[in-house]
Order: sequence, then C-alpha cells, then structure tokens
Amino acid sequence: MTVTATLQHHRPRTLAEACELGRELGARAVYLAGGTELVPPANVAGRLPGEHLISLRELDALRGVQQEADGTLRVGAMTTLAELTREPLVAEHCPALAETARLMAGEQVRTLATVGGNFCAAVACADLPPVCLALEATLAVQGAGEERRVPVEEFIRGPRRTVLQPGELLTALCIPPQPKGSGTTTQRFSLRRGNALAVASVCARLTVENGQIREARLALGAVAPVPRLVPAVHELLAGKPADAALFETAAQAASEAAQPISDVRASAAFRHQLVQRLAKRALEEAVQRASAPTTEGAA
Amino acid sequence: MNDRAAVPQVNGKAAPSGASNGATTSNELGSVLIRVNVNGVPRSLAVPPTLTLKNLLREELALTGTKGGCEAGDCGSCTVLLDGEPVTSCLVLAVELDGREVRTVEGLGDHGELHPLQKSFIKHGALQCGYCIPGMMMSAVALIERNPEPSEAEIVEALAGNLCRCGTYPRIIKAIQSWRDFAETPLDTKPHPDDEHAPAGEARNGKSAEALRLRGRHAVVTEGVTRYDGPDKVSGRAVYTADIQLPGTVHGKILGSPIAHGIIRRLDTSKAEAIPGVLAVITGKDVPDTKYGVSPARYDEHVLAKERVRYVGDEVAAVAAVDEATAQQALAAIDVEYEELPAVFDAESAIQPDAPQIHPETPRFAGNLNTVVEWDFGDIDAAFENSHLVREKRFVGNRTYQSPLEPHATIARWEHHGERLTIWSSTQTPHYLQKQLSRVLGLEMGNIRVIRPAVGGGFGVKAEVTPLDLCAAILAKRVGRPVKMCYSREEMVRHFRGRHKQTIDLKIGLDREGRIQAVHHRVLLDGGAYTSYGVITAYYAGSMLPTLYRFENYRYEGKRVFTNLPACGAFRGHGVPQPRFAFESLLDDMAHELGIDPFEIRMRNAMEPNTRTINALDISSCEFRATLEQARQRSGWTEKKGKLKRGKGIGVGCGGFVSGAGYPIYRSNFPHSNALIRVHEDGHAATLHIAASEIGQGSDTVLVQIAAEELGIPYERVWLVECDSTLAPIDLGSYSSRVTLMGGNAVKMAAADAKAKVLQAAARKLGCDPHGLTAREGRIYIAEHEEVGMPWHEAAHLAFCANGPVIGTGHYSPPELGGDFKGSAVGTSPAYSFSTAVAEVSVDLETGYVTVERITDSSDAGTVINPVTFHGQVEGSAIMGIGEALTEDTLFDEQGKLKNGNLHDYLIPSIAETPRIDTTAVESFEPRGPFGAKEIGEGSLLPIVGAIANAIYDACGVRVTELPITPEKILAGLEQNATA
Repeated sequence: MTVTATLQHHRPRTLAEACELGRELGARAVYLAGGTELVPPANVAGRLPGEHLISLRELDALRGVQQEADGTLRVGAMTTLAELTREPLVAEHCPALAETARLMAGEQVRTLATVGGNFCAAVACADLPPVCLALEATLAVQGAGEERRVPVEEFIRGPRRTVLQPGELLTALCIPPQPKGSGTTTQRFSLRRGNALAVASVCARLTVENGQIREARLALGAVAPVPRLVPAVHELLAGKPADAALFETAAQAASEAAQPISDVRASAAFRHQLVQRLAKRALEEAVQRASAPTTEGAA
Repeated sequence: MNDRAAVPQVNGKAAPSGASNGATTSNELGSVLIRVNVNGVPRSLAVPPTLTLKNLLREELALTGTKGGCEAGDCGSCTVLLDGEPVTSCLVLAVELDGREVRTVEGLGDHGELHPLQKSFIKHGALQCGYCIPGMMMSAVALIERNPEPSEAEIVEALAGNLCRCGTYPRIIKAIQSWRDFAETPLDTKPHPDDEHAPAGEARNGKSAEALRLRGRHAVVTEGVTRYDGPDKVSGRAVYTADIQLPGTVHGKILGSPIAHGIIRRLDTSKAEAIPGVLAVITGKDVPDTKYGVSPARYDEHVLAKERVRYVGDEVAAVAAVDEATAQQALAAIDVEYEELPAVFDAESAIQPDAPQIHPETPRFAGNLNTVVEWDFGDIDAAFENSHLVREKRFVGNRTYQSPLEPHATIARWEHHGERLTIWSSTQTPHYLQKQLSRVLGLEMGNIRVIRPAVGGGFGVKAEVTPLDLCAAILAKRVGRPVKMCYSREEMVRHFRGRHKQTIDLKIGLDREGRIQAVHHRVLLDGGAYTSYGVITAYYAGSMLPTLYRFENYRYEGKRVFTNLPACGAFRGHGVPQPRFAFESLLDDMAHELGIDPFEIRMRNAMEPNTRTINALDISSCEFRATLEQARQRSGWTEKKGKLKRGKGIGVGCGGFVSGAGYPIYRSNFPHSNALIRVHEDGHAATLHIAASEIGQGSDTVLVQIAAEELGIPYERVWLVECDSTLAPIDLGSYSSRVTLMGGNAVKMAAADAKAKVLQAAARKLGCDPHGLTAREGRIYIAEHEEVGMPWHEAAHLAFCANGPVIGTGHYSPPELGGDFKGSAVGTSPAYSFSTAVAEVSVDLETGYVTVERITDSSDAGTVINPVTFHGQVEGSAIMGIGEALTEDTLFDEQGKLKNGNLHDYLIPSIAETPRIDTTAVESFEPRGPFGAKEIGEGSLLPIVGAIANAIYDACGVRVTELPITPEKILAGLEQNATA
C-alpha cells in the first residue's frame, strides 16, 4: 500500500466538463457523488482509489426531480436518498420509491447517499435497483454525444460493474408514468429493524385491469449477483385474476429464480425461503395497492 | 483516516497535467482551499483531498465533541449538521465543503447556556458513557428543527443511524419528546419527576424492615439527582482519550499476523524504517521477555510475538510515525516471512489428541487445555436417581463482542528525567494497567502515572492492559515524544476479549413438585489463543448457578480450551449469561412437562437470604422471591400466559450477579477500594479523590451522592477529580459490578472521617459534644435541638483554620469469603443481586423475525442509591440482552479471519429495537453495602436472554438452544415442528 502521490480534486461546473475530465483521465479518475461507498474503504486503507477525484457536487444538471412532458419522472442522479423520501413528486407518482429509500441506512447516510451512487456502486444488496426494475425505470447516461437511456436491467453488468464507459456519467433515473391500475411495493428483510443492509428484498408491480392481472413485474434484490427481474412471475400471473394459490406458485417461481449465496448475513437456503415469503407478501400488497382507489398511475 | 502526511509527501512531485483545466481545484500540494462556516464562524482552510470532515473538526479545529466510532457511517457517533442536515462526518470529504455550513455539538446552546434539548437529556438521564451523545444530539436537533413535536416513530426513524451501546434509547426518546419542557427552566440537579425517588415494592420479609425504616431518612442517596457527568457529556466537553492532543504527539500502529498459526522465520523492518516520517519500528526482539496477562499463573502474552503467532491479528510489530497514515504505510512495508502451521478453530477439535498445539512451550497448556475445573458437591448420582424428572440438553453460546462505541485509545509520555511514565488510557481498570506496565517494563508502580479520561463504554473489554498501552509506552521511550495509539473498529474486534463461546451440556433433576434435586453442568469454553480473563471465566461459568436457586447436589466440569482465534475475556455478566440462558431454558421446558407455571417453579426453588450455597458462597440479603412476584404482577403474566395468539409469546428469565469480586485478580493486600475526601478551605465544597472508573454506569454520580450524604452537604457541593493515580489512591476499577458496594463503602468511610473533623470544630463553636451533632444538607445541628446549629461551611472553615487541611480517608476490603476447595474464590462477593425479567415477543412465522415488544424487569439491588442510573443500567441491559439473544455473533472464515469486524454485520440493537421497558426494584437492604446498596450493572443482563428464548418458545413452539436465535434457526425449528 502506498499513499497516493498525486491525488487531485476536480470540481467541474458543467456536465460536459465532468465527462471530458473522466474521458481524459480514464481509470486514474473516480467520480465522487455522496461518498458513502467510496470513503469507508478509504478510511481503512488510509487513501482514496485513483489519482483524481472528480466531484459531481456542482453539477446542477444532476440535481432535482422534474416531470417530463410525457409524464416521466426524471430524478437527478445527485438526488439524495433523504430528498427522495421527502420529494412531493416522488410521493405522488411512485410512492414505492420513497418508501424504499426510507428503509435504507440511517438518516445521516441518506442525507449523503445519492440515487446515482446506488446504481453505479452496483452492489448485490443495493435497494433502489430492484424497485426501479419493478417500476420499469431507465437510466439516463451522458457521454460525449447524445444522452442515452439504458433500462435498469441492462445498466448493471455484474457485481461492481456497470455499462458506464470512462467519460460517461449516470445523470438521472427516469421513471415512466405508471400504468393505470398498478400498485408497487417493496418487501425487504434485514436482520435488524433500524439501519441494516438487506438480506433479501422483493419488489413487485402488478397492473390490474378488469379484475385481471395485465402485467406483473417482480424484481429481486440481494439474492443474486445483480438485482434481477423474474419474468416467470409475469408468465404465471398475466391474464389471471389475483388469487392466493396463484401467488403462492408465483412466489415459488421467484424463489427458484433467486441465485443467492451464503454469507455473513444468511445462508443461501434461508434466502430462498425469504424470497418465497417476501414475494407472496409483495404480490398481495401490490394487488391491494393496484385496487385501492388512489394508487399511483390511477389518476 | 488521518492523511495529513499524505500531502507533504507529495510535495516536490509535479502536479498532474492532463486534466489541468479550469475545473481543477487542488493546488500544487494537492491541498484544496475551502471556505466553510463552522458553528457560525467563517473559516478558510487548505485541506488535502483525503481528509474527512470528522478529522477536520477533531484534528484541525480541535472540535473533539464530534466522535469517531466506526469510520464507515454505521454508528452515527460523528453526526454533525451539514447545511442543516445530519451527516456522518466520517464519510464526508473536507474538499466537498466549500461554501457550506457545518454545525457541531459545540455550536449548540447560546453563550454557555445549554440548548433545551441538552437540558432535557440531562434531566432524563439520557446519557451513560456519553460517547454517542453528541452525534445523537445533532440528529435530534435536525429533527426538532424540522418537526418540533416529533412522534416516537419519527424519533426512531431519525435516530436509527445513531447507535448507543449503553442502550439509553428509551430515555433518549423521552428526552426528545419533552425537549421543550426545559426551555425556560434553569438547570438544576433535579431529574425528571419519573426518576425522583427510588423505585420500591413491598418488603416481603422481616429482613427488609430495615429498608422501610430507612425510607425518607436520606437527603441525597435514594433521591434522584441528575448525573454528575451530564453537562459535560451533552455538550461535547467530556474528554475521551483520543480527544487529547499533547504537543509533539506522534502516532503508533500495530501490525497483526495475517495467518492464524505460524512461526516468524524472518522479519525485516528496514523498508519501513526508511519511510520519511517513520520514527521507530519495534518487533518481538525489542520488547521485554516478561509475559503479561490477567491471571498470574497464566501470563502468556508477549507485547509483540517473539516467535509464534497464534491468531489472525496476533501482534507482530509496532510503528511510531508522524501521523497515522504514515504509520499505516510503514506497517505495509514491514516484511515478514511466516512458516504456516496447522490451525484449529473450534474447542471440540482443539482437544483432540492430534490437534495442533497452540502453546507447545508451556507444559501446563498441553492438549490445548487452558483451565480445567472439576467440582462435585453432594451426591448427584443418587440425587438424579431419586429425581422424578431428569432432562439433559446441549446449549451453545455465541461469541458476542462488547462493542463499546469508543474504540480503545492510549497516549504514553515519559516525563521528568525520562524515568517516569504517564499514560492516558481508555480503561476500566487503571490499577491493573499500572500493575502490568510495572511488571512488563520493570518500572516501580510509583513511577507510573495512570490517567483515565472519560471512557466511552467498556462492558469488560477495557478491563485489561492492551497491546496499545504497552506498545505506546515502549515506542514513546524510543522516540522521546508522546505516542498516541487508537484501534480502528476492526482492530478492536480482532483483538477481541469478548464473550467466550460456551458449549454447555446441562442436566437437571426435579422432584414431583419441581424442586431441583441435582444439577450436572458441563461447559466447554472456546477461549481463543490466550488466557486473558479465561481462568476466571471458566470458574464463573460454574460458580454462579447455585446462587439463584437452592440445590445441594451439583457437579460442574469446566474446560477452557485454546484455539487459533482471538482471545476471549470478560464481558458483562462474565461467563454467566450463557449458563443462565441454558438453565432458564431447560427449567422452563421441565416446568411445562410437569405442568407447573414457570413462575411457580422458580418460586419453589428461589434462593433465601442468609444462605450459604453448596459452593460456599454467602448470600446475605436476598429478595429474589419479591422480584418474581413483582415481575409477575407488573407484566400481567397471569392474564397473558397461555392466552396469546400464535406468534405472540411471553417468557420469564432470572439472574443475578456478584456485587464485586471477593478477591482481586492478583494476590495483594491492598484494600480493594480507597478514597480521599478533601474539604475545601472555605468549607463550601469537598473534593472526592477516587480511582474508581466511570465507564457509563453512573459510578461517579453514585459515589458523589454517597460522599454528599455522609458529609451532610448537598450533592452540588461535591467535586470528583478525574481518575489519576497521582491524585487518587488505588481502586481495583470497574469490573465485577464492584464500584457501588466497594467504592461506596470507601467513600462513606472517608466522608465520615472528614465529617468528624468538621463536627469537632462545630462542637467547639456550639459548646457541645460532637457526638450529639448531625450534619445534613449543609447544616450542622444538635440532634436533640434542631434549632441549635450552624452552617456546615462555617464549621469546615473553622476546622481548616485550627488544624490545616481537612482530609478524610477511607478504604474497603471484603471480609474473608469462600470455601477451601480449589477455585472457590471465584464467585465470592460481599453481596449478590437478584432479578427477574419477563419478555414479550412477536415472531413472524413466515420469516422467523423476532420483535421484542416488552421487557418487565424487577431487581433486588439493595438500596437504590440513584434511580436515574439504576433505571439506565437495567434498560441498557434489556437492550443489550436483545442483541445477545437475537443478532450478535462474531464470525470467522475457515482461515480464522474475522468476517464482521464492523457495525453493519455485527448488529447491536438500534433505537428501532427498543421495546417498552418497565424497570423497578424491590425493597431490600444489604448490610454490607453503603446505605444498604448492592450491584445492578451486570446482574440485570442475566435474566434477559433466557426470558427472550422462553418467550419465543411460547410464541411459536420452537426451542432454539444455540445463540443467537436467528430468524433462520426459528424457521428451521418451525419446519421441524411441522413435520414432526
């Protein structure tokens, strides 16, 4: 271990500048958002990774929550989890997102941690990717050219790996208008009620039309190398009315789709069990929300 | 992280080109100029890019109210407000602060007047060790500024990121809820009305008539007063060891072995020594040959490994450098070649004939046996034969870690002509530290000054000398400058000294009515690589079972075994919580089998006062039955037991502990506690000099109360000096729950001695016999004629003018205790506490998640000297017990490497785990205690784990015998029950 000899701090003022810096510096540079992933290992090692630290703090383009013309909610990548829990637009259009953020960490970490960071860190137990998979969200990526939109399922390539190339920045989380008659929920299990990492989580969005499930998006967190959707659940439920036995079968499918590992928090076998039970709860809760008179997307 | 050195070291190297557009903010040194407003003061600072906000505050701005506990955003001790929002300052880089506003605990309040929230914390006793409090306070300020009347749920959500290991959560919630009540009131020492008087129930037998008689007789003890350390701890003014910055300080770090077992074949420090800023590197050859430890017969640790390493982390070398980052860098440059040996990681394997030998050079440790206890009292074989019901079960405990929020820290400085050592250390036992330094360094105790600053929690982990203390002393001698050494969270867990993992085979025989006939108790203790407190642990694991229930036939076989894991030591309840969990679980099962109510079976077996147990422990006061009765009533047991729906359960557990060990850990004739009281010249105050160690339990407060009561002056007039061996005589420290009884007796005696001198002067002035005088609340008067008297301070002033300094001395040693069999000393005590706890839980039958909803606790702690600290300790025990029962376990991989040396995978309870807690005491009077008092700090933990385990069984029919009781184990049990 050597102390980084030439750690430089950069504070770009524009998105273009930030991207250019990243492109120029390549692997020698690290983008700094909330710091909650970057700083703890540095506190142990006595140094930060890389030689250049590119702060994203000044980039107004990454801040704020707006609604686009087509109703898509654009959540700036530098939006903090704490802001997510309090943002009226989020509460109105996708309350499940705010609820999920509220389950994460403690308030003093939520104040720092950013939406973008939760995706870019690409850790298996991240909490926003599963709910965003359920919400059919995409991620806005800015490089040298035009902004491109990457579906959440494509963004995370593997543990600690994303599609981002040097010089590319995740700029926003984009949540499309939620279908009429849909309900979304996160069921998250951790070993302590307050401030603990997820052992398993299941997020589900059900869209109900004329008493029948039109679409089921069920996503898993912390039980596979990357958060993932379980298409089998949609196949089982689509076109059928909500039904306890059916949900049981779907939950079983979710459990089978999980690829958990045994680690310090739980065994793989227990995680399989959890997924099954959380999935059932998520489906029940989602269908209830979908049928409630004032759900997301119902207006 | 302290990276100040990282920057100077880059001096001279060219600033990077490439990215040198206008966006770069670093100067050629890598430092960045920021403008930041700290507590209303604008500052311009040049900060290196790796400096965290926490270290900027603590090290550059000397704002040490902000603490560090984990460096990972897990504990919240470093919480400050950034632009009004709470943040963990250990995760914020100072370079990101330009143009922003920071508020720390030092910025609360107004011109020396405390913020109403701070007052509320003091009034509610919402602090113990105090280490988490500044962070807690900042989270709470952010909350009330946004929402002045937060609900309990909102408080819990806002504070879930602030951990408190003392378990002060219930008081913190109340303090935040009622913060506005204290906005206008000036701060006095009257606590919140809930804590004004000692809790008490009905006395159940004549022995406690004394307690009733004494009611209302006291002016200071038994009356609630706010904590002595409250104002300092809520304001960030309390100084913990790591807060001290002596001029010229350099920083030390220790290199630990990367392998679990091996021989050091080559060790080259030359590259490390060549690093600029490195001042000294020491290895095994530079440290004395004298081994240290806790029990004299088994001193088995060298300051640094001489040859063999026995666990991952075993200390191999130490470095002193200009700052921590350079020291870290030097550690990495030390070249060590090991010959790796086979290692063993569990006790059962370690005692097999072909197991690797961990201490081959020590014949008494052959077979990896560290301590073997064999006790046989009565005739258990016959008694089992005659029992109506005999059951045997295996229980397995967990390696829990004390996890104080404050990591260990030490500063050593050599003084005078270089022959005197002063050491500041976060220790519970300043005297044992002094003793070991003296032994290892070959220095008289008289040349060693030990100063114990505020301690941010201990629970046993700070009850022995650490490699930090020893290395700091040796390095400081070498470099001629003060050396500061602090453990990181991971380093402290790696050094461990936490609870032993015990494998317990327990067999109980009952008669038809549920009376205990015989107990056979076999315990295998996994002790890790060294002895530490382990000899005593192995004895405690057996000695304390007979103190709670009466039985005459008892066999205990204890075996403490070495493994290649970090050494285990003493942890709150020392050796007893796991056997207690086993006993309370098995007794409950047997009660069910016999159709006897769990309370009833405990009543039938409960200890009586003035009993000598089968293992020669003298129980004097004992109101155990009264605690059972009170807990049964207050918990609503009769209405709930057997009537709750599936998934909800109620369970009882009992426990108790010593009020101070009857014998010191090494043989000496020193009185165990000693005190001086010096009455100030003008008579308006008195200073108590005692080296007893406040570690959060409230001992300073209780000792000051006892001094004030005995002197006859108000609580507010007594000072207590910081624990310093040049200012206060020897006290054995804070372990075995000894301070209230032993320290209290010494203080009471010293106060009586000083008071006698004051009364002499008063008698001369009043022209009466001093024996006829009474001193109370600052006034001295003739007992028979209360109107004839004089102010206390005038008499004290006269006493000083006539005879010079008015000083009282006091000391305490326990009476001769114990039997004449081997090991009978462990478990002896002048007095024993007793308590009963009822736990109510709900179990999620689908996920196995357990929520502890309510704990009802009733304690026999003798006279309760201070209701605030009493309740604080019991509530804290309830919360710690939840962690021990449900989530805590230190884990290692198959190479013996620590897997969860942090606070996000070693889960201590957060504020969100706080159940409803009802704590109360029964009327009791201990003749050997000061004003009738005995302990509460450890005994109160003992019933909790068993109570929770029994409640879980009641809720779902699953008896988990292996701690912690995780959701996974509960689900497995539910499945097993379903298929059975």
